[in-house]
Amino acid sequence: MPQVPGMLKGLGVTFGTMVNTIKNGSNTVQYPHVKEDPAPRARGVIALHEENCTSCMLCARECPDWCIYIEGHKTLAPPRRAGGKPRSVNKLDRFDIDYSLCMYCGICVEVCPFEALFWTPEYEYSEEKIADLLHDKSRLGKWMETVPDFESYESGAEVKGKKVPR
Amino acid sequence: MTAISDRRQMAYIANQAADARVNLELEAEGMTLNIGPQHPATHGTLRIVVRLDGEQVIEADPVMGYMHRGYEKLAEVRTYPQVTTLVNRIDWLGSFANEVPFILACERLMEVEAPPRAQWIRTIFHELGRIANVTLFLGDLGVQLGAITPVFLAFRDREYILNQIEAATGGRFHPNFDRIGGLKDDLPAGWIAETKVALDKIREFCNTLEDLLMGNEIFQSRTRGVGVIPADVGLAYGLTGANIRASGVDWDLRRDNPVGLPYDQVDWKVWTHPDGDSFARCWLRMQEVRESCNIVEQLLDTIPGGPIMAKVPRVIKVPEGEAYVATENPLGMMSYYVVSQGGLEPFRVKIRSASFSNMSIAPWLLKGVYMPDVITILASLYFILGDIDR
Repeated sequence: MPQVPGMLKGLGVTFGTMVNTIKNGSNTVQYPHVKEDPAPRARGVIALHEENCTSCMLCARECPDWCIYIEGHKTLAPPRRAGGKPRSVNKLDRFDIDYSLCMYCGICVEVCPFEALFWTPEYEYSEEKIADLLHDKSRLGKWMETVPDFESYESGAEVKGKKVPR
Repeated sequence: MTAISDRRQMAYIANQAADARVNLELEAEGMTLNIGPQHPATHGTLRIVVRLDGEQVIEADPVMGYMHRGYEKLAEVRTYPQVTTLVNRIDWLGSFANEVPFILACERLMEVEAPPRAQWIRTIFHELGRIANVTLFLGDLGVQLGAITPVFLAFRDREYILNQIEAATGGRFHPNFDRIGGLKDDLPAGWIAETKVALDKIREFCNTLEDLLMGNEIFQSRTRGVGVIPADVGLAYGLTGANIRASGVDWDLRRDNPVGLPYDQVDWKVWTHPDGDSFARCWLRMQEVRESCNIVEQLLDTIPGGPIMAKVPRVIKVPEGEAYVATENPLGMMSYYVVSQGGLEPFRVKIRSASFSNMSIAPWLLKGVYMPDVITILASLYFILGDIDR
């Protein structure tokens, strides 16, 4: 049997792919009309749960390019028990993340000891002006609605599951 | 002799030398042509100054440094966990493989060992990075020769692997998943089964590409016997990875030096090719993708249970000392030499990336080849500019 020339074989592959695409539809997503569905763990944008933040500055210090700006002050909160002393708590004045600098490494989310920061897979927040990429705490707080629940783990894992505060 | 005549004589000699230099430039044959810095055949900004005699290259000189980002210096002012964010960006197609040697070097200094489950998952991502990286190369080589179709197939099928990496680590290109003492997180439920499906897609891609590109007569005549690297020359220039294995040298750090990665628990083989030409390098990489699929599949089946993090302090301080770890990356040998003085930051990080050495053979290899083959040879050497310039 004479061998099929490699070029014809290649054309066959291309033709087969074309037939497949016509039959099963293409692999591409028509983006503005159809939206992609990223994995729940995807690092899209960081959401802030303001009640948990104690302005301890750990995230701002650990950030590799220092794009988190935090300001806070101490205030007195009413005592937990009746008749107790008023507690001194840290009130968050400013919590900004500059997404024009952010490297999306996730170190801030990881080091936060009070679970105030969460990743969400949202990705549509591009701006015309680069200065608008500085998200303040109200804007970061709004992302909280889009935070997905943590997935369960593969069998054999010994990691404790976490919960998202709602 | 007086001082004046001395000076005169010096001026005379300098004049003569300047004349000679001008003459040399005027008399030198050929034409100088710049390929790049921005050229579709380079994965980034590489400039190659070639001197041509008609269609033939007399002299080629790669000019590197257009993408120098100074990672070695940046690493000195960042804490150890922050460095992994930076080194992710060295070879951006197989990012996870960049983190592994650095983390292993730090672990050696701190004398901690990652638990078996973490080692297994590390190796899986190391190989997934290799698959994602080399899959794109296989498609890309077609583009350099004028075949457009393979790169679309490569981008399509690489996406399955990137999706798997994203599902587990959160980042498609920059996972930043490796930590000193283990991993950031465990795998999500159902990941192992999905990865097996993705691996089947990659195997299918390899078979498709064999029909589409490897058997093509034009492809064969353009790559066979072109850019032949003899084994001794390759070793002298410090070539590593698939480039040296394509010259018939049986050298693979995954088998020879499995530091902290359980490659010895897997049944696999190191491929070599005796020819050393462009075709051999392409063929060998294809076999390695298939072999990587086998490695990942076996590791997925034997993944042990348990914790993914060893006991490490919350604030990581690496004790004083030096450590050198080399692993087999998608592009070749990548190694980190970490010097610590006991602080929060490394005192010095020397990065040895594979592409820089692989590129250094270009002046030798491009001498005497025809101009269209320059692109083929460079593409088959497979370098990534981030890996050259760092």
